[in-house]
Amino acid sequence: MKAKVWKRLGLLAMAAGVTLSLAACGNSGSSKKVKVTILQGKVESNKQFKQIAKEYEKTHSNVDIEITSIGGGTQYNPVLKTRISSGNSPTIFSLAGPADAKQFKAYTADLSKTKAAKNALPGTVSAVSTNGKTYGLPFNVEGYGFVYNKDVFKKAGIDPTSLTSYDKLEAAVKKIDSQKDKLGIKGVFALPGKESWILSDHLMSLYLGQEFNGNAQKLYNSKSIKFNNNADMKQMIDLQKQYSVQPVMQMDYAGQVNQNFSQGKAAMIQQGDWIYPTIESVDSKFAKNNVGMIPIPVKGEEGKLPVGTSLYWAVNKKKTTAEQKAATDFLDWLYTSKAGKKDVVNTLHFVPAYKGYEGMKMPDALTQVVYEYSKDNKTIGWAFPGYTGTSWDPDVAQPNLQKYLSGKQSWDKTVENLKDGWKKQQSNVSN
Amino acid sequence: MKNRSLSFWLFLTPTLIALALVVFIPMLEGLFYSFTDWDGLSFTKVVGFQNYATLLQDKAFVNAFWFTVAFVIVTVIMLNVIGLGLALLVTQKFKGSNFLRTVFFMPNMIGGLILGFIWQFIFTQGFSALGTTLHLGWLNNWLTNEVTGFWGLVIVTVWQMSGYIMIIYIAYLQNIPNEVIEAAKIDGASAWQRFTKITFPMIAPAFTVCMFLTLSNGFKIYDQNLSLTNGGPYNSTQMLAMDIVNTAYNSSNFSLAEAKAIIFFIIVAAISLLQVFYNRKREVDL
Repeated sequence: MKAKVWKRLGLLAMAAGVTLSLAACGNSGSSKKVKVTILQGKVESNKQFKQIAKEYEKTHSNVDIEITSIGGGTQYNPVLKTRISSGNSPTIFSLAGPADAKQFKAYTADLSKTKAAKNALPGTVSAVSTNGKTYGLPFNVEGYGFVYNKDVFKKAGIDPTSLTSYDKLEAAVKKIDSQKDKLGIKGVFALPGKESWILSDHLMSLYLGQEFNGNAQKLYNSKSIKFNNNADMKQMIDLQKQYSVQPVMQMDYAGQVNQNFSQGKAAMIQQGDWIYPTIESVDSKFAKNNVGMIPIPVKGEEGKLPVGTSLYWAVNKKKTTAEQKAATDFLDWLYTSKAGKKDVVNTLHFVPAYKGYEGMKMPDALTQVVYEYSKDNKTIGWAFPGYTGTSWDPDVAQPNLQKYLSGKQSWDKTVENLKDGWKKQQSNVSN
Repeated sequence: MKNRSLSFWLFLTPTLIALALVVFIPMLEGLFYSFTDWDGLSFTKVVGFQNYATLLQDKAFVNAFWFTVAFVIVTVIMLNVIGLGLALLVTQKFKGSNFLRTVFFMPNMIGGLILGFIWQFIFTQGFSALGTTLHLGWLNNWLTNEVTGFWGLVIVTVWQMSGYIMIIYIAYLQNIPNEVIEAAKIDGASAWQRFTKITFPMIAPAFTVCMFLTLSNGFKIYDQNLSLTNGGPYNSTQMLAMDIVNTAYNSSNFSLAEAKAIIFFIIVAAISLLQVFYNRKREVDL
């Protein structure tokens, strides 16, 4: 008796299974949902992107968006490469600059006809454009400079906006340094010697970029670098090192932002608007009331903030036309529609790289600074994406600058190595 | 092969297939790619030995090579001396020897990455706090130059792995028959003589195993290197494995990295096998 019951149950289960799988087949066959897979490198915005995708799916029921976020430049590229070579390539993926654009050239569709590309602010797509064709759409613009502690500057009696030249900055630094104990800080700056990109990417871009007008593409294609104003850069490194919280060579990003600046132990740090969430997570009150940003004073570029894009969206050329269209539709919606714009500013906290955002208020003090400088056209372009994707950056620039910073190598030798290394790399690329 | 039955091959095949899929085939593929200009996606031409020629002039690789060799020599000696010392200590009959075995083995149960981060904190914060209170200048600024970076790596590795080596030595030490030692005692051998003439030859197989483990581990180390120094400052503490990974993923030079990996494999295999071959000869049977 019992055995019979089991047999029946088994049959029932089997029948159910068959119907279910048939139903599943029927389901996927009848609906014409277009699947858009996204692989992107801005891992801190993962949650926000997923939220936006859900919202988009609600109003566009025929599209199914799947987002994967991979963090940090070192891990993203291998994942993208693996997915492409295993036949599982994403419909939309992110590019970090000219080197990436070149590497994935066979996969990037021309986006110059999209609404978003037409609305992109001047200069924001130059790094990923060749022969008048645009292969990437900027995520956003970001800016960096000296992020300062308003309270400390006020108590020291210094107006940060008046620090428009190196000499004025140096005088202010000395003044703050002399009242260190009274102001309750451990150092004027907090220079993270462990994070070689602070110097090699952000700081050097200002001085090296001048001869290329801050154009990453020009730098990327250049056979050699002159680096004529390297002495100005040396001055700026020396100043930051001398008046930093010590020991410089033991400090990393967390030491600079979390432990020193956010806790009021440094008057200013060389950083960008992306650190705001970190400061907020340490002390939200401090972040709200006490944080501002001024440009790093560079001779000839006074009062200008370096503003640029670190990531671009690319659409996979090898996907079907329907999939490519769904992908560009989504990007157009995100950056040019009313609902999308709101998400860009309020959900993603992005400073827009596109026209049509007039009158919108940025969600925090640092992005507001970047937005205002770019609105007033008081910006210099980022040159460093022109070398960050090349081996010159990790193999030559970073170790050499770190060697100088730790006192192991003279500045002249450092500059010489940088120039020689670039020439060598570029001569290899050509053949 | 005559005496190998069908079941022998039946049991062996799944393992062989798995090994072939994840080890042999990728290795052959890698060997091939090392002769091309592969960028991780595609290659345009076969370049012969060009990658191997480049690698010989690659200062970072040569630097990483000598750094790794020095690291291996120091850690192999220290690990075996300390491991054997600890094993001798805890095989003495005294209260708490079992407890000590657990304590010495414990560091080995923590992952290398986490260990690196913990020790980074100890080296930078703990050491400098100690150095300031005790006025010992050499305790300050650890991990900021290649010398302290090197010794930092050595300390972490030795601290982590000596417990593991100890366990292997313990197993062999306990296998030494008591009567041999007793006979030696009656013959009037001193403690030192008993150790050098009896104990040490008797645990020679353990020595072979431990040498192999410490050698290959020393060459292949990556996680501690990554979390403790990340190759810095100025790439001076970059070891071979890390140099290969960085060449591939940071500099996007996959074919050169493949060539480096092939050379790396040959060096590690040759040294490890030579060592096993040489030490096997010295092993004695009772």
